[in-house]
Amino acid sequence: MNQLFEFISRQRAFIVFVLLEVLSLWLFYSYNNYQNAILLNTTNTYVAKSLEVSNSIKEYSNLKNVNEELAVENNRLHELVARLQSEQIVKTNFNYKADSAVAARFKTVVAKVVTATTSQFNNYITIDKGSAEGLAPGMGVISATGVVGKIKSCSEHYSTVISILHSEYTVSAKIKRNNEIGSVKWNGKSAEIIQLQEVPRTKSVLKKDTIVTSDYNYVFPPNIVIGYVQRVGVRQDQFYDIQLALATNFHTLSYVYVINNTLEKEQRKLEGNDEATKKNDPK
Amino acid sequence: MTQSKLISQILFFGFYLLLQIFFVRQLVLFNYAFCFVYIATIVLLDFDTSPTALVLIAFFSGLFIDVFYNTLGMHAASNVFIAFLRPTILTLLTPRRGYDERMTLSLSSMGFQWIVIYLGTMAFIHHFVLFMMEASDLGLFLQVLVKTICTTILTTFVVILLQFFRK
Repeated sequence: MNQLFEFISRQRAFIVFVLLEVLSLWLFYSYNNYQNAILLNTTNTYVAKSLEVSNSIKEYSNLKNVNEELAVENNRLHELVARLQSEQIVKTNFNYKADSAVAARFKTVVAKVVTATTSQFNNYITIDKGSAEGLAPGMGVISATGVVGKIKSCSEHYSTVISILHSEYTVSAKIKRNNEIGSVKWNGKSAEIIQLQEVPRTKSVLKKDTIVTSDYNYVFPPNIVIGYVQRVGVRQDQFYDIQLALATNFHTLSYVYVINNTLEKEQRKLEGNDEATKKNDPK
Repeated sequence: MTQSKLISQILFFGFYLLLQIFFVRQLVLFNYAFCFVYIATIVLLDFDTSPTALVLIAFFSGLFIDVFYNTLGMHAASNVFIAFLRPTILTLLTPRRGYDERMTLSLSSMGFQWIVIYLGTMAFIHHFVLFMMEASDLGLFLQVLVKTICTTILTTFVVILLQFFRK
């Protein structure tokens, strides 16, 4: 017994090293599986507050960009309103009328970006709205220009968002021109470019095609822009290797919209276990 | 430990950790070179710090940084790793005349060449472990290596620059 204690006291640096290393690796590998369990991240109010202070300088120099983005978005929305108004008359010819709850199922909340990273392999964004505003993990986040990501965890007044620039995050997407389905996932290299996968080579993909979120999506409303096709390559297997220029500029990201799909629970419950089959046969 | 030494140690930690979180966090050159100046809290601790204390301090300062970077466990793991290797590296880099009792781990005491080699080695190991964990994918090895080298250069440069402001 004495020998054991002696051994421990002689090797205590090594033993402490092994214990702490195992502890940090455990934290590292389990971190992605917890949503609200641990607040050891920037959702923590004190952490977020202090980051807000250090971000206030950057924010000032960003105002011009924010203005431009908002002006462009306003313009787009004006066009949309005009178009929808003119289509209204045609629409009445159909017998289909969306249930008002379904049509208005997406509620949005505006939030300010506290801090965002773009150059890590797994990027996160912290925003200044939390559960007090009705936000919850799993909700989608978009900007004036396109898709941003999905909420990972919320505290009362702050939330952490998994950016689309994250190695384990996939978004269901489609090509706007011909409705071909694929999925968008980042390869970790450049914050301006993202990859579109699972588009078979038999389908047509052209340069400058717009890629938007698909209709088979719980988190995002359909037709939110993800990016524009920049390069179409071929791979060994039957799929294309497509590079997209991201629609959202993550370097200057300042304001975002959080999307609350009020009917998500109902939809998931109804579809139950059909999820897997739906993925293979998107109909 | 005397009280004045304790206070100076706390100031030393506070300075590097706050510097990392509030200022250097934003400093990223060409998307490849980051600056992890906080490793100075481990690398520049006194010679007589016990190995166990080193590892413990490394864990907590790493965890503190992790909370702000949303990378729970990553900085802690790589920090603990270099803290454990530090005594070995110090032995390997013993100057020709051996260590002197009056020596401290600083630019003025150890000389420019020695401190650059020492900081470079420690930073390289730390960053390599860090980026490798972050990538979690051997396919990104080349990118990890480029990031590690760029970051090592920037971190070493900034830590040495800060040495000039020490009295």
